[in-house]
Amino acid sequence: MQEMSTIPPVVSEPLTWVEICERYPDQWVALIEIDWVVEHNFRFRTARVAGSGKTRREPLLQARPLRTRYPEIGHFFTGPIIAPVVRPFL
Amino acid sequence: MTTTEFDPSKKMIVVEAAVWGPRGKAPLRLVVDTGSWQTLIVPDVMDDLGFNPRDGEAITAVYSAIGKEQGYMIGVPCFSALGYTIPEFSVHVFDLADRYGIDGLLGLSFLQRYNYQVRSAEGVILVEEIAA
Repeated sequence: MQEMSTIPPVVSEPLTWVEICERYPDQWVALIEIDWVVEHNFRFRTARVAGSGKTRREPLLQARPLRTRYPEIGHFFTGPIIAPVVRPFL
Repeated sequence: MTTTEFDPSKKMIVVEAAVWGPRGKAPLRLVVDTGSWQTLIVPDVMDDLGFNPRDGEAITAVYSAIGKEQGYMIGVPCFSALGYTIPEFSVHVFDLADRYGIDGLLGLSFLQRYNYQVRSAEGVILVEEIAA
């Protein structure tokens, strides 16, 4: 059985990436309505935050009820990226 | 040829990628890792896209300092990174700590399909298709 959030998603107004980082510092965020400039360069004008949390899973669970309306949900971390100590490989 | 930007002041090369699943599409960020044969995506993202480990192609095992950790290989209908999109692509689903701030690694299973040049001073990766 799939895990679902019991908290209804609260969607922000359109925000720039800088504004998202300021409002949700060091958090994972789920983004919808991403207005891409160049998608593969991580450049977008604005997006709405549909979930946020300290763990990777939290924002995904919060935003999951919106999946039927928004087939594209971005998943990003607003804090610094740290090099993995151990790199898994096959 | 495509040009993908990255922040050269960071310790790793982080790029945008996207994976498609039964429930939709997930743009995410991966670390370019030429030391990793497989392209890796964390289970949380794959679960959210509607993938099920039971549909995996193979169980994987990675031995680390903390012991043996399991993952799985699974085919995704579409994967894109560095300005190129590949249909029917296999990824390694394996967990990484949340604190790393990434959703996976862009490994050689993707990179070897292209010629690519990492220009560290300018913070760009130039990618072109390999002539048949």
